[in-house]
Amino acid sequence: MAENIAHYGAPMTAAPQIKRYSGVMDWLTTVDHKKIGLLYFWFVVTMGLIGGAFAGAIRIHLATPGAVWEAVNHAHLTGTAVPYNWFSENRHLYNEFVTMHATIMIFFTIIPGFIAFMNYIVPLLIGARDMAFPKMNAFGFWLLIPAALLMFSSFFVNGGAAASGWTAYPPLSLQGMHSMPGQDMWIFGVHLAGVSSILAAINFIVTITNLRAPGMTWTKLPIFVWATMFVSIIQLLATPVLAAAVTMLLMDRNFGTSFTVPEKGGDPILYQHVFWTYSHPAVYIMILPGFGAISHIIAAFSHKRVFGYASMVFAIGAITVLGFMVWAHHMFVVGMPTLLQTYFMYASLLIGVPTGIKVFNWLATMWGGTIRFTVAMKFACGFLCLFVIGGFGGLILAMVPTDISLNNSYFVVGHFHMVLVGGSVMLLFAQAYYWWPKMTGHYLSEGLGNWVFWLMFIGVFVAFFAMHISGYEGMPRRVPVYYADFKFSNMLTTFGYFLTIIAAALFYIDLFVSYSRPKITVDDPWQVNDVQHSFEWATSCPPPVYNFEHVPPIPVVDQMAHHGTNA
Amino acid sequence: MVRTFFILLALIVGTRSAMAVDIPADASPQAYAEKFNPDIFALNDDGSPKFPMIHAFGADAASDIAHDVSQNNTFNLLVFLPFLIAPQVLLLIVIFKFRDRGDGRKPATFMTNHKLETIWTLVPCLALIVVAVPVVRVLYNMELSPQSVDTNDTSQATVIKVTGHQFWWEYEYKGETAIDFGHDIVANQEPCMLVLGRPAVFTFTSGDVTHAWWVPAFAIKKSAIRGRGTNAWFTPTRLGVYKGSCAELCGEGHGIMFISAMIVTPSDYELWKTMARHRADTDEVWGLLQPLDGSDPAPDDKLHAAVDKYFATDQSPGRRFALRYWIATNYQALHRCPSYPGRKDELDAHEAERKAKIESLVAALKTSGPPVARQ
Repeated sequence: MAENIAHYGAPMTAAPQIKRYSGVMDWLTTVDHKKIGLLYFWFVVTMGLIGGAFAGAIRIHLATPGAVWEAVNHAHLTGTAVPYNWFSENRHLYNEFVTMHATIMIFFTIIPGFIAFMNYIVPLLIGARDMAFPKMNAFGFWLLIPAALLMFSSFFVNGGAAASGWTAYPPLSLQGMHSMPGQDMWIFGVHLAGVSSILAAINFIVTITNLRAPGMTWTKLPIFVWATMFVSIIQLLATPVLAAAVTMLLMDRNFGTSFTVPEKGGDPILYQHVFWTYSHPAVYIMILPGFGAISHIIAAFSHKRVFGYASMVFAIGAITVLGFMVWAHHMFVVGMPTLLQTYFMYASLLIGVPTGIKVFNWLATMWGGTIRFTVAMKFACGFLCLFVIGGFGGLILAMVPTDISLNNSYFVVGHFHMVLVGGSVMLLFAQAYYWWPKMTGHYLSEGLGNWVFWLMFIGVFVAFFAMHISGYEGMPRRVPVYYADFKFSNMLTTFGYFLTIIAAALFYIDLFVSYSRPKITVDDPWQVNDVQHSFEWATSCPPPVYNFEHVPPIPVVDQMAHHGTNA
Repeated sequence: MVRTFFILLALIVGTRSAMAVDIPADASPQAYAEKFNPDIFALNDDGSPKFPMIHAFGADAASDIAHDVSQNNTFNLLVFLPFLIAPQVLLLIVIFKFRDRGDGRKPATFMTNHKLETIWTLVPCLALIVVAVPVVRVLYNMELSPQSVDTNDTSQATVIKVTGHQFWWEYEYKGETAIDFGHDIVANQEPCMLVLGRPAVFTFTSGDVTHAWWVPAFAIKKSAIRGRGTNAWFTPTRLGVYKGSCAELCGEGHGIMFISAMIVTPSDYELWKTMARHRADTDEVWGLLQPLDGSDPAPDDKLHAAVDKYFATDQSPGRRFALRYWIATNYQALHRCPSYPGRKDELDAHEAERKAKIESLVAALKTSGPPVARQ
């Protein structure tokens, strides 16, 4: 590392790397963090569309209480031919779609979605030339491809894809149609995605610890870098636990062990505990990087500096620590001791405090600014609105007596979609609109972006608020048919879905169109550094292979030192 | 023709000779079949559900803990609501007040404000303390096993072991070993029968994968896990029919693993128990009348023999009523639209089909004279 740092300050006269390939081979063999970031990005938007298509199949099916089944049952009763339909021909397929929608959105869209921006932006933000382990970085990305291929190809093996939900609770995932190879392929896919995740986490931790530019002390780190650091710690500590959980499944399924098999003395609840020990921290993996990024975006477009830097960083840290201590709030109905339930309730409620601090700090950052409502800023504001609603649902769910009624209902589905789509995905959009000029040297369309934002914002609100209503009234999750009572709210959800998928399609098209727009010639198209001192805007758009010719000549303000001075 | 007689025996409204005290004089098997085996998917003429889903947080929820939970939830909502509204209001203010209008206004430069930060750290903490106390009382009340009732005394408590199966629920009532409801849910929505004001004490377990028993009106949801027993209890507070569902993904039939639960008066419960005790014995007669494989009903002499066998040991009015009740119930379940919420026109079609069948049987009886009394 010492050699690397020694380079800084010495002006470069020539590109330090020899380009061995061009075109496709360049992208296949690249170890440049920027290109890998873009590979992640394109992988993620593609996966997002596929996952969205799965959601579409589910939503169209759920638009009416049981339209498809009516036809099928009528046919059985009257002895006429069964009309062809995916889910009626094969009810199992519905569960496969539910499982794959969740798996793709979590493991292949949102988690790598943030890694895409972390990969591209974090080395720039700390003034580094690349990640600490460039080849490992590339390896981490390329692991996702076989992982995704395993998931998709499992639809074509005997018995179909995994259908026991993304939670894969045993004994369901051990028996019957779930004992087919699809579930094993799902396990291996999750393993590969997990390894990719761990490699990325190690890389970020080492990079941030060692490759900061001279003078970039911990107290001067941009908040996005802090968020990356904390998220990487979560990934490093939690992902092996997921690997342990699915390995238990794998062993029970194939090698006759009995971790989770009740007949042989195992315990299905053991799996649930181990699984949620990963999967609760995982929800913070899916939101904390966005928490970091939105601080940059809001400050940039408000012409201000981030309000309360220290409390922002400590809040992320607090969420990281608390995130590991609340997993069993997913399991309030499995029959835990009441004292434990009380503990997990209090701990879960406590997470609301640092999250609230962050929300108020973002608002205070905007307060008194001169706000430019670019599309990125609109997405940031849309995030604030929707995330607060989603978080409110979280407070309601944390209360055990209420949760016992709402657990595993559509209220939960509405809650986590409100924070994952209204939160994480809105943040991914905001980051894309904010950093796309830096990443490619082209603007995304502000005009089309307005459509993307409003369709997305209204669609997400309608779809997922309606889900809250369904669940509150008593609709369970993961069902292909439902009581006629929930007709209206489900229709609304399907309507909202169509708004969001139109927005996503417009965005996808605009990504391609953006490359035909004129190249950006300035380093700092959003004029961020008029007020802030952010390294990524101190180099060209897109940055050269070596990022910086020399250490950016911007004094890095010690954010911590500013804490405690009231203007 | 004997076959026809027995079907009519079950279906025709009318009084028979001497009934025991536990069966009302004007009891009609068909009416009771509809009463004790309600079609939870039935729709009214306007398309609204005949038995609306009653959620845990409404005033018409049907258990004592549902009222507690509902009250507690309202309280929590009131405490939390400011934290939903304040950020949204502030966001609107910020959006409209501080947008860049190009008038040369300089942005503020403050980066911190200790007073404000302390306020928005401590105030949420205070709110959490406010909600943290009352919720514990509700929680412990829900979760601790009942102290005030003797669960060994079936007149004090309805003790039910609920076993989840793919994809139906099995209810075993303590002290009622003869009640056996092992039936495919599509064929028969066997309700969980509870008594008004009598604590219902549940133990949940599973015969295969993990399920979860959830009736929103009772504010009860518990996982049914193989190899484990989970417990819940509440006191039913309102007569009626309550719908529920399985709330844990349990395979391809998870979506049709519905629950119907009924809260009835003690006298109705006794009547239903009387009939339920004979349930298993009636199955043989029913199986001959309506073979599961869809083939033609068995010849009359076989039916004869089955009915003789049914009445061989016990010819009490209760047992006679039970045969008619279960045949009526099975007919109803058979001709009811299977367990999914259907479109109105299809439900009507099935209803019409069922009525036509009954009417043709009645017509057949009239041409062949009165049934021979079998005692």
